[in-house]
Amino acid sequence: MNHFILQQGHSRELHLFPHILEFVSRKNNSIQLNTLNSTTTDFLRLYFIVDGKFEWIIDGKNHILYPGDLAIILPGQTFRGEKDILHIGTLFWLYLQVEKLDSDGMQLGKWSQLSKNECLAIGKTLCINNAGVLKLKDSQILLQTLRSELANQEIGFATRANQLIDELLITIARQSTRQNNSQRDFSQTFMKLEHALRQNLSHQWTVEEMAALIGLGATNFTEKVKNHTGFSPLNYLINIRISEAIKLLNRQDVNVTDIALRTGFYSSQHFSTTFKRLTGYTPSDFRKRNLPQRQ
Amino acid sequence: MECIITIELGTNAVRIFAFDIKGNIIGSMKGSYPTFHTEPDYSEQDPEQIFITMLYVLKNLLTEKIHSRKYKVVTICFCASMHSVLAIDDHGVPLGNAITWADNRGKVEAQELKGSALGKQLYGITGTPIHPMSPLVKIAWMKKHEYDRFNRTSKFLSIKSYIIQQLTGEYFIDYSLASATGLLNIQTMQWEPEALAYAGITADRLPELASVFHSPGKLHKEYQKSLGLPASTKLILGSSDGCMATLGAGVWSEGKATITIEDSGAVRVVGNKVLRDDKQRFFNYLLTENCYVSGGPTNNGGVVFEWFAKQFGDFRNPYDLEYTMENLIQEAARVHVGSDGLLFLPYLLGERAPIWNANARGSYFGLNIKHERRHFIRATIEGILYEIYSIGKTLQEHRSINSLSVNGSFASIPFCTQMIADIFNKPVTSKNSDSVSFGSFLLSATDRGAYQNLEDASGTIEPTNVYTPDPSNHEIYQSYFEIFERLTAKLSDEFEEISRLQQKHSRVFSSVK
Repeated sequence: MNHFILQQGHSRELHLFPHILEFVSRKNNSIQLNTLNSTTTDFLRLYFIVDGKFEWIIDGKNHILYPGDLAIILPGQTFRGEKDILHIGTLFWLYLQVEKLDSDGMQLGKWSQLSKNECLAIGKTLCINNAGVLKLKDSQILLQTLRSELANQEIGFATRANQLIDELLITIARQSTRQNNSQRDFSQTFMKLEHALRQNLSHQWTVEEMAALIGLGATNFTEKVKNHTGFSPLNYLINIRISEAIKLLNRQDVNVTDIALRTGFYSSQHFSTTFKRLTGYTPSDFRKRNLPQRQ
Repeated sequence: MECIITIELGTNAVRIFAFDIKGNIIGSMKGSYPTFHTEPDYSEQDPEQIFITMLYVLKNLLTEKIHSRKYKVVTICFCASMHSVLAIDDHGVPLGNAITWADNRGKVEAQELKGSALGKQLYGITGTPIHPMSPLVKIAWMKKHEYDRFNRTSKFLSIKSYIIQQLTGEYFIDYSLASATGLLNIQTMQWEPEALAYAGITADRLPELASVFHSPGKLHKEYQKSLGLPASTKLILGSSDGCMATLGAGVWSEGKATITIEDSGAVRVVGNKVLRDDKQRFFNYLLTENCYVSGGPTNNGGVVFEWFAKQFGDFRNPYDLEYTMENLIQEAARVHVGSDGLLFLPYLLGERAPIWNANARGSYFGLNIKHERRHFIRATIEGILYEIYSIGKTLQEHRSINSLSVNGSFASIPFCTQMIADIFNKPVTSKNSDSVSFGSFLLSATDRGAYQNLEDASGTIEPTNVYTPDPSNHEIYQSYFEIFERLTAKLSDEFEEISRLQQKHSRVFSSVK
């Protein structure tokens, strides 16, 4: 295979692709000391191992990588080689500019054909599963095709190249879900989702988004959640929102509007209506209930 | 038409049933809530989420099944899992999450107390085995390790007490739940001073004691309105899931025992005397005056079979556990009784009765080259039920048992029920998994005067699905059970050693119950 280095600002091939910061295929013939020092970047880094064996530390976790493995280093995560060494072997890497969102998630640029929601879901999936390393042989062919598209520049190559990156990200997101959830233990998987919802309760979650996080289609997901919890996904979410709201109401130092927004209601009106429908109290009456009372 | 609502606050979910006056089910709904394991030994639940989930399910059930069909709710009866502790401050606001029965944080305190003279004395007085599950131990733990929270606590409640307080404003605990706290003297029916002293509290920091029939007061007006219930709706405290599973199974006289197996399991008997056991192997919970539900709990019930299914079952569709388990049962049925000599010790979660060893671990024994996958399936089920039998066998040192009644999702699988009959060599009747709610119904109906007393009420349950034992199967099971029992005893040193290594080498090892 041909080895190559494409770098934004240096390589003509990347002129139409400002989001590709670096795309490299490299054969490393000898152990390189002091090469993989600890780095943290604001872009997404993907490494694919073609041959050899590499020992890396991603986000504080040790991994041994073998051929067919793909390492994902999310924006903000630290990455280094064990003892800063780059071992012997062949590998690809691709650095992609993404927009990191405040919450768990990232957004791709306009170049991507993925819809905004799909993008968000992929970003969230990668962050939540935080896989580090995936077994993903299929990505080699995608990377090779991407390379030849960029090199040959045949008609339609700009679209093709971006489609290949989209495809790569979809493959990665799906595999990260599969590798993280055995698809056997729904209660365990549901706990992870629960945790993700609580971490980001102010977000306006959709059923599709929740389903994507654990690698199920929306219909199947809704049925499973209903079976497991007795509630539809959105109604289950309301349970979490209201219980968190009650805790904040009990604290007495947060105002009702803030509580509404922090727990994911559109407005304090929406919060009050939902709260009253469920509990029979308006939020402020509920709060008063716990005020003076017994000592 | 009048109806009775029962609310069961279970380990993972709230189940609400509506019964007509004759005990027919009008409708039922459930809603689950999560358990948080923030530390390996911790098992906690959010009291607000339990409350909201309960309200939501209740409201849905009332709207869809009760109001629309013009039923009038006359009684609402509560029931809950045992051993939970919720600390609240002087405004009634929870100080953190509720600590559930499965929480193991007090294991050191429990072990120290259990070996002491005081421990022995407290077990005799309170009827609750000294174990991390016991609120006695949990409160003592909090005093030692979270003194600030302990100090700010105005009351230590059970989850049920909190839910009832939210609805009515009153702090109560019924005798049966109270008798599972390790703090109640089950003879005098008062909080036990020695136990309170050990926990470091006074009786005013506990809810008020009352009978299972006691009405804690009316629903707050707001709830009457939002739920569409009249002020005359009577709330009654009700009991614990264990006691109600026993009542609901119709086991209320000498000679009978009930076996409940859901995730965990228990074998229980009812009598008017406390079961005294020098080895502290049994619990004695007080239902009403001079009425004790005694028995032994196991950690390793259906949860162990579920573990097996998740690891080794064939999954047709993602997460389709039910289908997978059905297939496994069918495969197991095609293996000879006794699994051709493959034995399984089911102690994946450590064990409570009868060995009370948190460090016990699972094992397959007797493997030979002819054993196949299907042998493992059957051996797993047999192992779970041998363990149930070993509890039953120890109980029979104190009480004679002539017939059994099983309930719970695992025990009521026909294949398992027949196996229980064969292993025990006793006739078994099977009830579906609604025994807990049905027990609460019987309690409510008795309260309304439909029956003279609980014994009377339980007597109305007609045995359905009788499984008769096969003596030749029993003989085979009996011969393997003897090895099972000896293995468990012989491995006791190795259990200690292997669990010590597991805890040392595995950072993710989450605790046993």
